[in-house]
Amino acid sequence: MPTAASWTDLRPREVRRAVADVAHLVDFRTTTVRRPRAFALGAAVFVGLTVAAATLPAFVSGAGSSKGYALDAVLLIPTAMAGFMVLAIASAVASGGGRELLHREHAVIHPVSPTTDHLGALLLAPLNIAWLLQAWILIGVTAYGVERRSLVAAEIGIVIWILAATAVGQVVAWTVEAVRRTSHGIAIIRCVGVALAGVAVLLQLTHHTVGILDSLKTRWIVVGYVDGFRMRWVESIAVELLLLVVAVVLGAVPAHLAARRAPRDELRVESGNHPARRLPRSALAMLVRLDRASVWRAVPMRRGLAVLAVGPGVVALAGNLTWPQMTILPGLVASGGALLFGVNAWCLDGRGALWRESVPVGPGTVFAARAWVLTEFLLVASFVTMVLAGLRAGLPSTSELLALLCTWVVVVLQVITSAMRWSSRRPFAVDLRSARATPAPPLVMVGYSTKLAVTTTLTSLVFSGLARVPHPEVSVLVAAPFVVWSLVRLLHARDAWTDPVERARVVTTVAG
Amino acid sequence: MISREAVVDVRSLHVRFGEVEAVAGVDLTAYAGHATALLGRNGAGKSTTMRVLAGVVPPTAGSAVVAGHDVRTETLAVKRAVGYCPDVGGLVPRATPWEHLQLSARLRRLDGWEERARDLLERFELGDVAHRVTSGFSHGMGRRLSVCLAALHDPEVLLLDEPFDGVDPIGVEATFDVINDARARGACVLVSTHLRELAVEACTSVLVLRGGAQVATATAGEMSGEEGARAYRSLLD
Repeated sequence: MPTAASWTDLRPREVRRAVADVAHLVDFRTTTVRRPRAFALGAAVFVGLTVAAATLPAFVSGAGSSKGYALDAVLLIPTAMAGFMVLAIASAVASGGGRELLHREHAVIHPVSPTTDHLGALLLAPLNIAWLLQAWILIGVTAYGVERRSLVAAEIGIVIWILAATAVGQVVAWTVEAVRRTSHGIAIIRCVGVALAGVAVLLQLTHHTVGILDSLKTRWIVVGYVDGFRMRWVESIAVELLLLVVAVVLGAVPAHLAARRAPRDELRVESGNHPARRLPRSALAMLVRLDRASVWRAVPMRRGLAVLAVGPGVVALAGNLTWPQMTILPGLVASGGALLFGVNAWCLDGRGALWRESVPVGPGTVFAARAWVLTEFLLVASFVTMVLAGLRAGLPSTSELLALLCTWVVVVLQVITSAMRWSSRRPFAVDLRSARATPAPPLVMVGYSTKLAVTTTLTSLVFSGLARVPHPEVSVLVAAPFVVWSLVRLLHARDAWTDPVERARVVTTVAG
Repeated sequence: MISREAVVDVRSLHVRFGEVEAVAGVDLTAYAGHATALLGRNGAGKSTTMRVLAGVVPPTAGSAVVAGHDVRTETLAVKRAVGYCPDVGGLVPRATPWEHLQLSARLRRLDGWEERARDLLERFELGDVAHRVTSGFSHGMGRRLSVCLAALHDPEVLLLDEPFDGVDPIGVEATFDVINDARARGACVLVSTHLRELAVEACTSVLVLRGGAQVATATAGEMSGEEGARAYRSLLD
């Protein structure tokens, strides 16, 4: 967003002004919501699911018991809280400081301070399916684990923790971004990332992970939850609130630092030279080459893919997943990959869409090239994840291997089909230069990610069950109708794109 | 000058986007070896007309024939005949100029195009950045590259939409040269702009649009100088 920051922006008067500006920007964003009914429905669903997660598990048989699954749930809460913080950090770091309330291009004419930007990014952090799912799980596990008389006290504590962890994630993300923008920042951040991964692997290999998790300070906080509104609860809440306030305030400092420095990733990509290569033999190959360039030369795509491919793989590696459990991974990674650009695939051309549309090539070829580039992007990401996850899983049986491969093919096809359909149905003019850019507005992204997550997870569960069936051919037989159905829908998406009126609408929209 | 052969023939063109009628009954005839300017204020329908002629946006009603091809039914043939510089951007953000030129050459089956491409890039002072991605380009650089792309294949119809917007004098001169070269080899040139002075310098005839419809046609001479400025001003009100 802005670059002309100064330390005077951190004075109380300026901070108050920044907070007020957040309200103005939120007002602006809500007035520009084009589907208010869908927005209201989405908000109602969010509130409903949150209330359900906080209450319903408490009425499940065995909930709040001091033994069995309920006890396990309580014992897991400290680790889950730490996990949520790691997720908040990873998510904010990957998106270069979090999402923008007002896109950089649009904000440039307004006096929007980095503090406003920081607070806006905090507000938008929950509009992310990974954040929402983890938050609901954490709230639900707490509701199931603690006794009913302590439920309200515990849920208040968990919600404050979720907010505090999100704010801490934002501080780390801005700090990483500020360092990344220094002269050797990119190398420093990469070294730190590799070192952290190395430490994690070392801890796992030396069997120290459980000990580390057991000694997390989050346990001290959780102890305060379980006895209701007592002094110990006040102490836990006080610590959480302190963490929250300090993180929110502190986040403005690296946000200002980052805003004063040029984004080196983007500048490096924009000023980099790409020597000429031989002309490909066919129009399709040329289109694929250009589309690949659009994907792999974009900072958000490269960064997002690295996080998506490696993150779940490392978690699976550490968690020592079995082959049947691994069927959940391709869908997770493919969905995340599509959310980097696939759900608005035509936006890759940006303002060049008009020129691209004027070159003499059949629309079917253009569609094939774009769908293929999306396919290989998703295949690469999910393949890396599966390889990482499989390192400790030993040799799979034929049933397990076939079930995993079938899941891979089916979920990638499902994701591509949905992405190409949505790309034509709801195009957006988006500039994907910035690491903070998303291919669609945040609320739309939540809708897309929810649909993808539900579809791919349910499909994965089917194949997870089939991995245990001793007849490997069953997976192939079950996969066949999934594949056929997805291909039929993909052809419908292609038909929509080849319609000149529809295509003109898409092209003129993404060209801005 | 080449014979007066209609290369672009537009009859009662209408383009509607939902409730908005962007073009409301434009008639236009443009000839080989001639350059025609489309003049008008913002929102007059110039760019939409150009998009129709480039085969990018289908007409809602009326007819448009470009180089003997109906834009509605022979879109691909129209695109082969046309060189189009769009009004906004016109460049794929993360591709280099050379990759843009390669795509255009590949799709039009051009042989030996590299020399012509290098010449165009040099004329528009883009030779040094031929292998840099275009997202880092200034607005003027982007405009200049768009004109290069439109001219690469020596199209039968050259459509330049706001080619002078934000372009420095050297770029403007290079664009004039492209227009003159195209006319000299018998191409039909259409230039959409709101800059009257440049339009009359580059073109032989002028079509003025207002509110999506044409309000006047004139020769470049009639629209030039103080007299032309007054006439143009009165047509806009």
